[in-house]
Amino acid sequence: MLASHLSKAITVKGDLESDGELHIYGNVRGQVCADRLVVGPGGYLEGDVIARDVHIEGRLAGRIFALNVTLDSAAEVTGRIFHNTITVAKGARIDARMPWRPPSYFETLEQLPEVRQ
Amino acid sequence: MSMFNRNEKDPNTGVAVGEKPAEFTPAPVAAASVVKPPQPSVQPVPEIAVAKSAGPSVISKALKITGQLESTEDIRIDGEVEGDIHGVSVTVGSGAKVKGSVYGQTVELAGTIEGKIEAKKVILTSTAHMSGDVIHQDIRIESGAYIDGHCRPGTNKVDNKPIAKPN
Repeated sequence: MLASHLSKAITVKGDLESDGELHIYGNVRGQVCADRLVVGPGGYLEGDVIARDVHIEGRLAGRIFALNVTLDSAAEVTGRIFHNTITVAKGARIDARMPWRPPSYFETLEQLPEVRQ
Repeated sequence: MSMFNRNEKDPNTGVAVGEKPAEFTPAPVAAASVVKPPQPSVQPVPEIAVAKSAGPSVISKALKITGQLESTEDIRIDGEVEGDIHGVSVTVGSGAKVKGSVYGQTVELAGTIEGKIEAKKVILTSTAHMSGDVIHQDIRIESGAYIDGHCRPGTNKVDNKPIAKPN
C-alpha cells in the first residue's frame, strides 16, 4: 500500500489515523496513529503518537508510544518516549523521558484509541 | 607522554621508522574503504528525502484525518478527511471521502465530498459524488457524476484575485 505523504508545504491541525505508513515533512498538530510513522527532515509534529515503528529525522513535541523507535542524528524530541526498543543516533537532541515497556503494553495501546498516561 | 616516548623511540631505530610509513600507507586505504560504504548509504537518503519533502501531499487509502488541512502545494486524497481542505490543486480520488469544504485553484473530484467546493476550476469526473454547493469559475462535469447541491459562479475573495489580475 502506498504510504501517506505530507509534504513540507502542508499544515494539518487535527488527528491522523492510518493502518499503514505515514511520512510527515510538514507541520502537524494533533494525535497520530499509524503502523509506521516517519517524521522527515524539516517535519514537525506536535502531539501524541501511537505506532508500531517510529522514525524521526525532524522535530517532535509530545509523547511517543511505539514498539520500535529510531531517532536520527537530526532528530529533536521533547516529551516522553514509551518504547520497547530504541535507537538513537549521535547528534540527536532529546529532552525527554524514555520509559521502557514490554511488548504487551503496546498491544493494549493499539486497541485503545485514547492515549493513557 | 607515552605517545611521545614511542615517537622518540621510533626515529632512533631506523627499522621502526621504515615500518611505520609502510603501516601508514595501507591504513588510509583501509580507512577510505571503511569511509566509502557509509557515503552511498547516506547519500540516497537525503536525495529521496528532498524529493519526498517537495512533492505533493498524498493522503493514502489507509489514512483518516480529522481536522483541517492547509497546503501551498498540491494535495491528493485517497483516504478519508473530516474537515476543511485548503490547497492549490486538490484531487479527491475515487474511493476517497471528504466531509467538509474544499478550497483551491483546481479541484478534481472522483470520490465523495459532503460539503462545499470553492475553486477557480472544478472537475467532476464520472465517479464523482458531490453533496453540497459548488462555487466555481470554470466547471466540467462528466457523464455519470452525481451532484446534490447548487452550482454557481463564485465571487469570493479567492476568485476575485485571479479576475483582478487579467484586468
